[in-house]
Amino acid sequence: MESTSEKLSSPSMLSRINIRAWVSKVPLLGWLIGALIAVGLEMAIGTPLARALGLSKAPTLFGFLIMLKKPLLIPGAALYLLLIYLLPIGLIARFAAAALNRLAAILADFSTVFSILIHLALLYLALHLWSGLSDYRVLVVKLTLIAVIVTLSLNVINGYMGEFSCSHPGFMALGAYAASVFTVSLFVNDKLFGVAVLPAAIGPFFFPIALFLGGVAAAIGAMVVAIPSFRTRGDYLAIISLAFMFIVKSLIENLEVVGGPRGLGSQPDWANLPTVFVTTVICIWVINNFVRSTLGKALNAVRDNEMAADAMTVNTRRTKFLAFLFAAFWAGVAGGLFAHVLRYVNPSTFGIQKLAEVLAMVYFGGLNSVYGAIVGATSISLLGEALRPLEIFKWIIIPLLLILVMIFRPTGLIAFKEFDARQLIQPKK
Amino acid sequence: MVLLQNLINALQWGSFYALIALGYSMVYSILMLFNFAHGDIFMVGAYIGFGVASALIALTAMGAFALPGWLILVLTILFSMFLTSFVGMIVERIGYRPLRAAPRASAAITGLMIGIILETGNLALLGAQRVSFPSMIDTVTYDMGGVFVTNKKIMIVVVSLLLAGALHQFIRRTRYGMAMRAMAFDYVVVPLMGVPLNTMAAMTFALGSALAAAAGILFGVAYPVLDPYMGILIGWKAFVAAILGGRGSVMGATLAGFLLGFIEIFVAMIFPSTLRDLIAYSIVLLILVFRPHGFFGEAYSARLRL
Amino acid sequence: MSMLRVENMTHFFGGLRAVHNYDLKIEPGEVHGLIGPNGAGKTTIFNLITGIYNPTEGEVFLEDNKLNGLAPHEIAAMGIGRTFQNMLLWRHMTVLEHVKMARYSKIGYGLIGAFFGTPRRNREEAESEEKALKLLKMFGVAQFADQWVPNLPYGAQRRVEMARALAMEPKVLFLDEPTAGMNPEELVQMMEIIRQIKEKFDLAIFLIEHRMKVVMELCERIQTLVFGEVIAEGTPDEIQNNPKVIDAYLGKEIVE
Repeated sequence: MESTSEKLSSPSMLSRINIRAWVSKVPLLGWLIGALIAVGLEMAIGTPLARALGLSKAPTLFGFLIMLKKPLLIPGAALYLLLIYLLPIGLIARFAAAALNRLAAILADFSTVFSILIHLALLYLALHLWSGLSDYRVLVVKLTLIAVIVTLSLNVINGYMGEFSCSHPGFMALGAYAASVFTVSLFVNDKLFGVAVLPAAIGPFFFPIALFLGGVAAAIGAMVVAIPSFRTRGDYLAIISLAFMFIVKSLIENLEVVGGPRGLGSQPDWANLPTVFVTTVICIWVINNFVRSTLGKALNAVRDNEMAADAMTVNTRRTKFLAFLFAAFWAGVAGGLFAHVLRYVNPSTFGIQKLAEVLAMVYFGGLNSVYGAIVGATSISLLGEALRPLEIFKWIIIPLLLILVMIFRPTGLIAFKEFDARQLIQPKK
Repeated sequence: MVLLQNLINALQWGSFYALIALGYSMVYSILMLFNFAHGDIFMVGAYIGFGVASALIALTAMGAFALPGWLILVLTILFSMFLTSFVGMIVERIGYRPLRAAPRASAAITGLMIGIILETGNLALLGAQRVSFPSMIDTVTYDMGGVFVTNKKIMIVVVSLLLAGALHQFIRRTRYGMAMRAMAFDYVVVPLMGVPLNTMAAMTFALGSALAAAAGILFGVAYPVLDPYMGILIGWKAFVAAILGGRGSVMGATLAGFLLGFIEIFVAMIFPSTLRDLIAYSIVLLILVFRPHGFFGEAYSARLRL
Repeated sequence: MSMLRVENMTHFFGGLRAVHNYDLKIEPGEVHGLIGPNGAGKTTIFNLITGIYNPTEGEVFLEDNKLNGLAPHEIAAMGIGRTFQNMLLWRHMTVLEHVKMARYSKIGYGLIGAFFGTPRRNREEAESEEKALKLLKMFGVAQFADQWVPNLPYGAQRRVEMARALAMEPKVLFLDEPTAGMNPEELVQMMEIIRQIKEKFDLAIFLIEHRMKVVMELCERIQTLVFGEVIAEGTPDEIQNNPKVIDAYLGKEIVE
């Protein structure tokens, strides 16, 4: 009995090792081009294929929504997923790996920056084409990218500096309102702020300024938390940051100028996919640069032992101040984008619920890790969308998943890993 | 006159905060962790109380036995405290015991997630409509020279003070209480002396949850509408009270609970009620900035065990 | 001009007098020892000079720059490096990152460099890495450069802490019981390391030590501290033969 089962299992073991071996040989370029071809395939034959498989239209989110809504359609949706996505990507990865490795090597040798830009362009193209097929997809992609910014910036405080900050929804709210007030009052005819001051046509050029102002507003607000952090750490600072979040929320609720509890609407539609994508890329680039520099590593030193950091010439106050303001800045930028994607914000968006969501993303993905932030934000947002048909049961499954992650990997899936774009684009041997 | 009236209202609100804050504080003193599902345990306690009370009332109505209203209430409180303590132990078993060696923040996350599961689970079981808490005793209003006091308000304040006092005595006088205090002193070494950490943690969660259940029922008596999200806001506020009181201090948590009640009610008295949270939290923030270790906590800064 | 000078330093913790009328002079290149029984206040003196506590009375000078009132990181940046009795290392940082971190005050690229990865930042970081690796090689821990410190053997951790303190390019190096918890073999190695530091780096050393052998062999001058007061000061020979010291402290050790 034993020997047969061994015989049975050994080929599958072998093939699993093989799969891992050839997956590790595929360069990032291969996956991106595979994805691009899959998206192209979907554009060309997605709808007819879906019809042929008995689906009413091409599945919007890899078929998960359909599978959960109508279990009878699972075979069709799974087949669609296989034919449109998995098969083309797999084939490219399997058979073009060698050629693409050579191409990646040429690109990397030519210029690292150029190669990174090419990779980003391919990624953007794939996202753009994929989301071009439905408005829902565009929204999902935008919100996911914004979640990446928020998660990454919270990771700076909670992961890299090891404080448990609860104020991020507050920073987002400050950013969202500051940016919205700027754009709505200047460029939109609106009940709250009257007629537009400047023509809407030049508005999009001012959008980066609006986002920047949002970030600055959040950073100024962050001083309320940053200054007590000089003397207080741990639980008390967590409460100070929590109180800050509540204060911001109820402050906005009481500000009739910006609509009070009814919220603020009619933001101009400038947060298109390229803007959100570029902002996210810049955010990842800047934060990753920062946390890998000695000034950024000082956050880790303050976290692991403040006394030793002080004795080794690290200016701990400056470090804490910087970390809070920097993280808050990006949270504010994300808030500005968020407001302009939804084109409506109200204060109750930025409460405990948002906090739980962002914390879940940070701790799911992994502390002290840019990869972790990206993975955490992407998987929790996509999971949230994919499980939507389950309605409220979604809020049992996601927390359960997170509890399991915490039990088996208490610092998150990909914690304490350095993100190196140069390494990422290298050809694989 | 208005002042006195508000004082009584503040005492009532403070009772809820104090009872819930005690649960946070006790768990903290043993494990150096906050149980972030505690607000939702309060909610579960209120629902269990609702179930127990409805059952008792139904049994009385069917003529199984004849009980006066106040006895039903007392039985409801005791029963629900007993039942809810198991909820607390389960939360500890799932969300905290597997994470003893993990960073503190991870346990905070599991607590938060269990809270969400409790809310959603309740929503899934009972649906979105609010349920109204059965009235077991009739409201009697006493007019004391223009200040109106109901028997319910008196009952709420008295019961919570009794429970807080009982807890205090429990911790002072019993073997478990002594072990708890020792554990609060040093939770790494004391288990090595033969005090079982797991049993103690479960006990503490059970006690805290029982108090939360009592708070839930008292809340139901005062505001007889229950919904699955009722634990969030009141739970977080009680958490703030636990911090204000100084971590792990029973006296401190009780007093700070009442203090928070006073702050909220009096802010609402002087300013428009929409400003209540804004001002109350600003005061909390200022207190913590200038007295960073609460009123009764020891002055040391805990670091995240990462 | 002496390198480090402390005049008349007294410190109270609440009502408790931890240090009383402490004076110190360390000359350039000197190895100065501080011995005394447990609780005598040796580490308190380190903490007072390095700015962790502010002395109730008295003044501290480093090459005529007054240190009183400066923050610990400023004092460190002026040229006082230190190690800790219980080794304060950073749990989630690699050995190389430890040593690079000690060059924090030497960084000139600022926030722009940190955020945008300017050429200047790359140059400075590369330079700092090169110096750090050199130090690690000197201390024989270069093979651990990319490992987290808790994974290292005890002796190696001690060396990393010393390499880190030296990366600050200090003028005076404070060593707080560098041989604590070491076996005889490691002890000999550590003494050799301290000797080499003295030879290769242009600095003075201020050493707290428990083991007589170490202090007697390494130090040029020794102070004996009992209950926060210096009861004897002099060369190793003088200290060894001072009846007060033998009474208070050495008596037990010599029997051993």
